Amino acid sequence: MKARWLVMSATGAVVALSSFSLLGGFGEKVDFNTQVKPILNKSCITCHGGVKKASNFSLLFKEEAFAPAKSGHPAIVPGDADKSELIRRLTATDPDERMPLDGPPMKPEDIETLRKWIDQGAEWGDHWAYQTPETPSVPSVGTIWSRMGLTNHPETDWSTNEIDRFVIAKLHTTEAPGGGTLMPATIADKATLLRRVSLDLTGLPPTEAEASAFLHDASPRAYEKLVDRLLASPAFGEKWAGMWLDLARYADTKGYERDPGRSIWRYRDYLIKAFNSDKPYDQFLTEQLAGDLMPQATDEQFIATGFHRNTMNNDEGGTQDEEFRVASVIDRVNTTWDVFQGTTFGCVQCHSHPYDPFRHDEYYKYMAFFNNARDEDVTTDTPTLRFYKGADSAKLVQLRSFVQKTCPDRSRANAEARRVELLARTMEPKINSHDFDQHQNAALLDAKFFGIMDKGTARLKNVTLTGRTRLYLAWGTSAPDAQLTFRLDNPAGRVLATAMAPKTGNQWKDSVQVISLPNVAGRHTLFLSLNSPTKPKDWVMIKWVSFQPALAPQAEATLLSLLNTHPEQTPIMLDGQGDLARKTHVFTRGSWLTPGKEVQPDVPHSLPPMDVDGQKLPRNRLGLAQWMTRPDHPLTARVAVNRFWEQLFGTGLVETVEDMGTQGIQPTHRELLDWLATTFVQEDGWKMKALLKRIVLSSTYRQRSDVTKQLVREDPYNHYFARGPRVRLAAEQVRDQALVVSGLLSRKMYGPSVMPMQPDGIWQSPYSGESWVLAKGEDAHRRALYTYWKRTAPYPSMITFDSPSREFCQIRRLRTNTPLQALVTLNDPVYVEAAQRLADYMAIHGKTPAQQLQAGFHRLMLRELAPKKLAILTKLYQDTEVYYAQNPAEAGKLLASATASPKQAALTVTANAMMNLDEVITKD
Amino acid sequence: MNKLQQELQQAALQRDTRRHFLQTCSTGLGAMALGSILGSCGSLFGRDEKVAASLANADYDPMAAPMDPRLSQFAPKAKRVIYIHMAGSPSQLELFDYKPELMKYNGKDCPQELLTGKKFAFIRGVPKMLGSTANFRQHGQSGAWISDYMPHLQTVADELTFIKSMHTDQFNHAPAQLLMHTGSARLGRPSMGSWVTYGLGSENDNLPGFIVLASGGKQPDAGKSVWGSGFLPTVYQGVQCRTDGDPVLYVSDPNGMPRDIRKQTIEAINQINQQEYEAAKDPEILTRISQYEMAFKMQTSVPDAMAISGEPQYILDAYGVDPKKGSFARNCLLARRLVERGVRFVQLFDWGWDTHGTSKDTSVDIGLQMKCKESDQAVAALINDLKQRGMLDDTLVVWGGEFGRTPMQENRDGQTQSFHGRDHHLDAFTVFMAGGGLKKGLSYGETDPIGYYAVKDKVHIHDLQATILHQMGFDHTKLTYHFQGRPFRLTDVAGKVVKGVIA
Repeated sequence: MKARWLVMSATGAVVALSSFSLLGGFGEKVDFNTQVKPILNKSCITCHGGVKKASNFSLLFKEEAFAPAKSGHPAIVPGDADKSELIRRLTATDPDERMPLDGPPMKPEDIETLRKWIDQGAEWGDHWAYQTPETPSVPSVGTIWSRMGLTNHPETDWSTNEIDRFVIAKLHTTEAPGGGTLMPATIADKATLLRRVSLDLTGLPPTEAEASAFLHDASPRAYEKLVDRLLASPAFGEKWAGMWLDLARYADTKGYERDPGRSIWRYRDYLIKAFNSDKPYDQFLTEQLAGDLMPQATDEQFIATGFHRNTMNNDEGGTQDEEFRVASVIDRVNTTWDVFQGTTFGCVQCHSHPYDPFRHDEYYKYMAFFNNARDEDVTTDTPTLRFYKGADSAKLVQLRSFVQKTCPDRSRANAEARRVELLARTMEPKINSHDFDQHQNAALLDAKFFGIMDKGTARLKNVTLTGRTRLYLAWGTSAPDAQLTFRLDNPAGRVLATAMAPKTGNQWKDSVQVISLPNVAGRHTLFLSLNSPTKPKDWVMIKWVSFQPALAPQAEATLLSLLNTHPEQTPIMLDGQGDLARKTHVFTRGSWLTPGKEVQPDVPHSLPPMDVDGQKLPRNRLGLAQWMTRPDHPLTARVAVNRFWEQLFGTGLVETVEDMGTQGIQPTHRELLDWLATTFVQEDGWKMKALLKRIVLSSTYRQRSDVTKQLVREDPYNHYFARGPRVRLAAEQVRDQALVVSGLLSRKMYGPSVMPMQPDGIWQSPYSGESWVLAKGEDAHRRALYTYWKRTAPYPSMITFDSPSREFCQIRRLRTNTPLQALVTLNDPVYVEAAQRLADYMAIHGKTPAQQLQAGFHRLMLRELAPKKLAILTKLYQDTEVYYAQNPAEAGKLLASATASPKQAALTVTANAMMNLDEVITKD
Repeated sequence: MNKLQQELQQAALQRDTRRHFLQTCSTGLGAMALGSILGSCGSLFGRDEKVAASLANADYDPMAAPMDPRLSQFAPKAKRVIYIHMAGSPSQLELFDYKPELMKYNGKDCPQELLTGKKFAFIRGVPKMLGSTANFRQHGQSGAWISDYMPHLQTVADELTFIKSMHTDQFNHAPAQLLMHTGSARLGRPSMGSWVTYGLGSENDNLPGFIVLASGGKQPDAGKSVWGSGFLPTVYQGVQCRTDGDPVLYVSDPNGMPRDIRKQTIEAINQINQQEYEAAKDPEILTRISQYEMAFKMQTSVPDAMAISGEPQYILDAYGVDPKKGSFARNCLLARRLVERGVRFVQLFDWGWDTHGTSKDTSVDIGLQMKCKESDQAVAALINDLKQRGMLDDTLVVWGGEFGRTPMQENRDGQTQSFHGRDHHLDAFTVFMAGGGLKKGLSYGETDPIGYYAVKDKVHIHDLQATILHQMGFDHTKLTYHFQGRPFRLTDVAGKVVKGVIA
């Protein structure tokens, strides 16, 4: 049963009624979701829920709640509270019987609610967020006459679009602060709005040209034109990619103890391009989750799958690859839920969800979608997409067309060409050598790759050989005359092949070779043995093997030459087929070492099924993405619009952006959320720019953000939007703004991450020879999102301003306000340099100190400095100038210049002060 | 009770909610913030005078000046806390929980009844029991059991209060550390230091009220959330000081900017921000004003507090500090210097106590002894030093990990390991405390004969937290903060003060 809001608009007042309150007779009908479920969650479900089922009684799922408990009788008898054991136990006087056991008794009014609910039939309800949203009707505001344009009414005049009408309607409800007396604020002035919307849409303050264009545009559409320009700006994609990097847990290192580098910046560039090209959100989601599975996947779609290759990889010696492979898969499941479904799914790993309707085995069914990925925590971070350049790139084109043309089976020509191309581009499918077992005189060297010495043997299980007469082998050694033999089915079995290990200098260097195999049908176990008489103690290392069909000799040679190059690469997702397909099991109590029953890929039952109306979706990541982006999916669009709202207003419509479930904070404006979500899908076709434009054009967004005492008292956190957003800038914005106003910012886009100025001693990873190499030229002043991100030692000023360390997905940044932030913007050399350059600007944009200060402030805030504030800064300037005139050497130090003038030093100090003003580091 | 006392208490009661803060914050802080900048550097007033002076102002609201010192709910036994967290969790069975019975089972298979229904981080299948690798003797008049791993601690045995019956709910580091410090295993709750600072403010205008020092080469597993302020105002979060380079990043002024210019700069910034507040009324601006004041003061007081060069050689020797190197010992000395300067809550994290036995360094014999060698002398020295300065009575020192270690030898992946190690264990571990109004020379609580379960006088994490708050003068059920529609507290919905350890 669902609560619905009936909106009565005749007087502009909106009265919320739940539909069943019209039933009468019983008095108020108790609502399960809003009244009963919170009581159960608070008092009962710890022992009778997803984790524990004391006395075999659980309140998590409907069928469990009404099923007979250990006593043989159901605890709840719908329609009869007096006969319900649940009520008897809650009111029992014997402390051994009374629930909650060992806790304080439940409040009488809560018991009364439960009693009433049972008497009214104990109707179970599903949480709203798991029900497909319907488009709510938009409330009317003002009077019927004002809506027809016949008279004026302040609310009709104020509201620009539907968002505003939802907001006004909610402000008028009795549940709103002040009992419905609050009024929305007036629209902010142009300069404030310009800075606000520029920072919000592009992450940067406007350029002077942009400011001038907007401030001098008197047309009624000036603001909309500005919004269109900002949405079209390349900086737009950088800003929103920056947001997405937290969600994708993007970093330039692999994490854990050694935390070595990883080259995955192409994924970051994909995000920038995706936002800038206004890629529809459904496609954006699908490419990131399943780009590799899309038909004829493009490079861009492969790169997009880097989303889930940002999981950590443990290169520490002694760690088991399988353990960390599983950890990555689990992280992918949890992150997919966190980011796209706004649901904390992680706890289902060990047991059914304690509060939300997800069962333990559903976690593993869902995990099965991700469990086939070929990455296995190997130190090379494979699979990767390889980017051949120049002649190699031409070779690949030739190879592809040669295979296509010469394929004897014409119906398979395209598929065969694609197979060979993918082999060259991704080196997949291959078997990683950590899969070899039964080591004798052999070992996993540094727990990474298989090594074997003279007289060594090992086993490789279950390889399909039918039609595969070529063995590709990446290996190397320092030993001469090391001969490897492959035998079939047993250690003394038929010799399948022998080959001399390539002398690569040392075993860690590999060379890819191809060995011919005889025609063997079926699936077999192979046994390896090594004969290395000259240097018996030298290791031969094998990194991977791959069994492939034969190609024409010239094609094989070309392929081999490509595989032996070392082009740039980026990690991608790729699924294993055949021998490489994995089975998925439930992990008993969440541990990968205790597998339970096998499961098939599927989605939780409390959400719409994957197959509807005879349409079957494939049970892989692509099918999963198609399911998530189907219009009837209750979560995907809601979660997306809530996130964008949160980015613009500082707080989501559901404040817990990470959790829309029963444990999340319930939305203040659920109708608005649903309206935005359904409009986003149905009208905007998932276009993010359209959604953002709708929100920033609303009067709700454009309100003044300064507050009255009444507002602070009644709605301290602005949950009802009777004022505009006023929040501290995000870490990236603090830095980027300083670089923009000082003229230092490089607009260079894309490419490997850069290392701007950073204090010594920040990087302290053990066993890592990597160091911070200061960027040269314009790379020292790129936008913050291009800063090299080391997980165990992130860029300090970013962390100080609340960036997460990106080990795991972080849905929401909490905003803190600390003295350490002050020290960054006061003293960090990055900000001192910015102050010097802003001072240069001030010097040439004014004659008197007052003019210069105004120029600097205008550059920052696009408006005049109020006289009182100007007086304070002028005094600072004058006092400082006197000091530097008396101490010219100090001025020289401050400006790092022998010819520094006291004026310039004083301007620098004043600029430094201005860049620390609350209004400057705040979006208001 | 005199009138001043009553007024003080009433004022203390007013701080309940942020909403209250927001209602009244416009009335006094502006003037106070500006008036007090730098003024108190010279300690014009003692703290008591300052409390009295602020109360003379009819509009005084404690939350309006969030770091002003405040009275606790009742007379505190401890005015400050030094919490020494051995991250990774030391083995109680090698250090304090003497179990001769366990030796008898050494090398035998663990009985199935101890394994059924249990979950371990790494133990799989049936592990072997592992007797203590250490030698135990009783020490001091109290006869406290302390193993030979900690020869220095043995000498202060009679100052210590052991709780040997600790237990927790979490057996992985990050959640267990979060539970220990925030009362919840999930991210987002305020840490103990934040609660205490929220309740009491700071005794020193020039230093943060809550300072964190980490050693052992790594941060705690749970990251900086273990000193975060959660939903409390962010002024209450712990401030981490580094032991190399600038003690706090960017604490040094730029070249060519003397202190006096920096002072004028910050005054100008705050005056303008005050004007901005009067227009925009956003309470975050007031917080920012106080943060800039604090930043300025920290610039001199932090390097001063962190400079151990002024300490006499005998003190350095007592702690075992190499002045050139950051170390746990140095952090112990710094902790004393910080509490001396009025810092309420000093949190020490030392990484490297996770003795699984996967290598020599993580074995309960060799590795654990090395960690003890690095830390034992300094902890004993800290206790002696506080005592000699007359500060031990009202300083509570707490030492412990986030959980205990198993009486079984770890058998990672079902295989016996080449070194002796113990897995994470939530049913029994030992914490010791000193000072702060506790019974000295007490061993409280017991585990069963093999040290598997705490059996007598069990103490849960929330009980320990309730006790620490009690010693600071707070009823843990009443030190609350209203958030998301209900009052929250450090101990969540649980916690009982362990009366048996209180003097």
